[in-house]
Amino acid sequence: MKRRLLTGNGAAAWAARLANVDYIPAFPITPQTEIIESLADWIDSGQMPGRLVTLESEHSMLTAAGAAATTGVRVFSATSSQGLLYAMEMLYTVSGWRAPFVLVNVSRGLSAPITLEPDHNDILAARDSGFLQIHCATCQEVLDSVLLAYRLGEDERVRLPVLVNMDGFYLSFTREPVEIPKIEQVAEFLPPFQVGEIRFRASAPESQAVAVLGGGPYSYFRYETHLAARNAIQVYAELADEFEQAFGRRHEAVECYRCEEAEYLFVMIGSFATKAKAAVNSLREAGWSVGLVRPRLLRPFPDTEIRRLLAGRRAVAVIDQNISFGAGGVLHGEIAAALYGQPDAPPVLASFIGGLGGRDIPAEEFYQIAKVIRDAAEQGETPPPRLLYTGTELRETRKLQAIARVERAGLGGEA
Amino acid sequence: MNETAFKNVKSLPSSHLLGTGTPMCAGCGGLEALHEIYDVLGENSVFVNAAGCMTLLAVYPFTPFRGSWLYTAMASAPAGAQGIRDALDILQQKGEIGPEEDMQVVALTGDGAAYGMGLSATSGAIERKLDFLYICYDNEGYGNTGQQYSGATPHGAKTATSLGLSGFAGYKKPLFDIWAAHRPAYVATVIGAEPLDLARKIEKAKALKGPRLIIALSPCPTGWDFDPKESVNIGKLAVKTGVWPLKEYLDGRVVHTKLPPRRLPVERYLETQGRFRHLFQPRRQEALLAEIQQRVDGYWEGVES
Amino acid sequence: MYRIRFHGRGGQGMKTASRILGTAFFIEGFEVQDAPRYGAERRGAPIFAFVRAAREPIQERGIIRQADLVVVADDTLVPVPAAGVLAGCDAQTVLLINSHQPTEVWKERLNLSGPVLTLPAHEEVADRAELPYVGAACAGAAARLSGVIGLASLEQAIGEELGHLGDQVVAVNRERASRTYEMLVEQAGLVKGERAITAEDWQAPDWIELPFEEADVSAPAIHAGLTSEALKTGSWRTMRPLVDYDRCNRCWWVCSTFCPDGAIRVDEEKYPRIDYDHCKGCLICVAQCPPHAISAVAEHEVQSEEAVS
Repeated sequence: MKRRLLTGNGAAAWAARLANVDYIPAFPITPQTEIIESLADWIDSGQMPGRLVTLESEHSMLTAAGAAATTGVRVFSATSSQGLLYAMEMLYTVSGWRAPFVLVNVSRGLSAPITLEPDHNDILAARDSGFLQIHCATCQEVLDSVLLAYRLGEDERVRLPVLVNMDGFYLSFTREPVEIPKIEQVAEFLPPFQVGEIRFRASAPESQAVAVLGGGPYSYFRYETHLAARNAIQVYAELADEFEQAFGRRHEAVECYRCEEAEYLFVMIGSFATKAKAAVNSLREAGWSVGLVRPRLLRPFPDTEIRRLLAGRRAVAVIDQNISFGAGGVLHGEIAAALYGQPDAPPVLASFIGGLGGRDIPAEEFYQIAKVIRDAAEQGETPPPRLLYTGTELRETRKLQAIARVERAGLGGEA
Repeated sequence: MNETAFKNVKSLPSSHLLGTGTPMCAGCGGLEALHEIYDVLGENSVFVNAAGCMTLLAVYPFTPFRGSWLYTAMASAPAGAQGIRDALDILQQKGEIGPEEDMQVVALTGDGAAYGMGLSATSGAIERKLDFLYICYDNEGYGNTGQQYSGATPHGAKTATSLGLSGFAGYKKPLFDIWAAHRPAYVATVIGAEPLDLARKIEKAKALKGPRLIIALSPCPTGWDFDPKESVNIGKLAVKTGVWPLKEYLDGRVVHTKLPPRRLPVERYLETQGRFRHLFQPRRQEALLAEIQQRVDGYWEGVES
Repeated sequence: MYRIRFHGRGGQGMKTASRILGTAFFIEGFEVQDAPRYGAERRGAPIFAFVRAAREPIQERGIIRQADLVVVADDTLVPVPAAGVLAGCDAQTVLLINSHQPTEVWKERLNLSGPVLTLPAHEEVADRAELPYVGAACAGAAARLSGVIGLASLEQAIGEELGHLGDQVVAVNRERASRTYEMLVEQAGLVKGERAITAEDWQAPDWIELPFEEADVSAPAIHAGLTSEALKTGSWRTMRPLVDYDRCNRCWWVCSTFCPDGAIRVDEEKYPRIDYDHCKGCLICVAQCPPHAISAVAEHEVQSEEAVS
């Protein structure tokens, strides 16, 4: 094994190379483009086999990806943000084809207003698509998760496409030490794709993705997809063991960082969770009983494990890097649903929304969140949802609004 | 390409490959064209279908195809064809399947997808020189949703979204020209009512590599409002009046494969269909009829000169 | 943990600098994180890149607010607010400016609580956008200031990062990096990387409740034209076009029409007037002027003359 500095994009490209993918339908979009550029370069220079085809849109890219997977080759693709949304019809469609392949999404905030830096509204828009979702916090995890994702999606108990998510900029353009396993080692962990009975061959007529009329058969097919996704919880658990044996790194479905016996927990997904880890370390040094719970697997939702990890805590802060307009943080709602009715559920489950469009969450905000939930636990009352947004930021925004000729009369409470 | 197996109508296939039992309307000109095409193309084919009337050709667990089928979505059937074509090539290159397992990859869409939503995907596939056959069954409107006007609807036609006295205000988009401008391997117009012309074109297309695109005008009893038994007659009239020129693009040249010796007045075609009835009743709309005739005449002047 | 920022202009190799330094730390056995910071900016515009290095896994992410070392490749950026060179600089921040001006001048001008060093890392060139090898020079200097990177590791890092460009490029970059590395021998280890981050005491963020505001206000719409003129893109310029009005034949259209930024207006006498607040220094006007009445001069030279006068 070789350890070297790689960006998240580089790690994703390496993973596709190690997974021996046959086919890469592609379309450029910032901040994902470096992935397909690397793969195109390796294929052109003969460093890896495979075929890369640039389609004319992400919608077509996903269609080609699914169609090739149903024909029986191993497929990799990558996109981001608006591209994921442009492909959204096909995300929902190809999962129903039960065609396993891996799609890396490099998270970036959605339009409007259009922006460059990350949050998770793009990937969460695909939450109900039938793609499984693995969320990464480091560049190493990006590489490892793509390999895991092929095993997971191709498993006969699952047979679903998998999205591996990383944050734009914070992972995509950031280099970190990444261990690149040997290709022989990967081949042992990840044998060639066994397409099974669903494929296109002249000798075996096959009609795929066929229409149904009537809710009875429709419900059957859709619920079977759900059951396959649920199976992925058990399959993932087995794979985590196997992966650890093969490569020496363990990636639990839900990471639990210094949370044994912690009275207070942060819950979050993605690369900002490592910032929460840094805050946990500082808080621990200062005598706080704090830890972090980080779901890596978001679909299927590891509810049993989350219930187990959150049980008996005094207070939990869910930090959502997304916003469901008119509802709030998506993860908070999902965690609350998992905990409902549990006798030992934490009495305080507070919602924080931060990091939208790449807005930083500095250490002192994590400290303050810890303080807020500790105070809430003492008072026995969950605080209202909180946007991580400061008076300083509003004043800066007011300066921009002044340039945009926004009438001051229309402005609410002045900061 | 002078040798054709289809010397005359007697040499057309007498046994048919496409299965019965589909939910297409009785008298469907699109299904007629498709089964004629399928007879020539053969079962070594995988059809990649876009949303449209023919989505329902295969309804679980019933399929009329002897070969294979993949339903995609309205906009991206050519991209689905790309994925299957590339995968079959890759599998052969890797030696995982032999050439006997290979198939013709066929995109099958209606005019709604071909003229509109899927045009970008088609343009991309042609530009990538995708080796595939594209069949558009053109019934000149969004038929599966109740015949609203599409980019393929002819001027003056009544549709569910052009119910006024003048019918559809726009003009049928020149898809043949748009496709041919990409310089693909082959483009042709066909119609089920002219089976010999159709068979020869599919025979030709089948032998070529690269993008091969076919538009089949598809008389539609439901959407055009006529008695199903008139479907072939109306198709023949479309050719005889010059409304539907039968032609092909090959090697940079457009050739008309059936020149109507004496074109019949366009009215003869229009009056057969309820969608044009307002041109005649309660009173004749002379100006509109003249305009439609002039446009057809203008087209053929360009051809015959 | 070492937290180091490199500031330069698009095209000056700050990403390369951060990668060379990151790799050099990595070779020395450190955990490393390095990244460039891209925006919508282009060649000549201020950009920065950063490196974190530590003996234990790095959990921090994103921009470095308070750096142990700030390296500035182009001294004309120091006074540009948008460049953010001085952001978060405190008593524990070492500021290293690549400049031919004496250290004392910068100390006096900036009046910072932390150490200020200068490094004449390059022979002066007219067009600073072409500043050659300055990335490697900056990386070499930073490596020395850290006190934990050996010359061999630095040279190996340059080989790894620039090897794809050929042996000649590697050799020159190694030579430049080792030169600055040697120049700062006295200051080895000046950058300590010992800034403590603690939750013992912190300043509570001034969180606010965002008020509802009507869509007229709260939609991302600009209710006026021409507001982009508030952006002084003249700061991207490394070369300045100067009009010799004696040679100008008052054609009144060539330079003004071809200027992509519309930064040249024609006055009533039909003489072109260049808007230096917005001229990016592309020099199309210099290339197109029929009587060659527009010439290019180095921006940094004009600026130092202006500073003197």
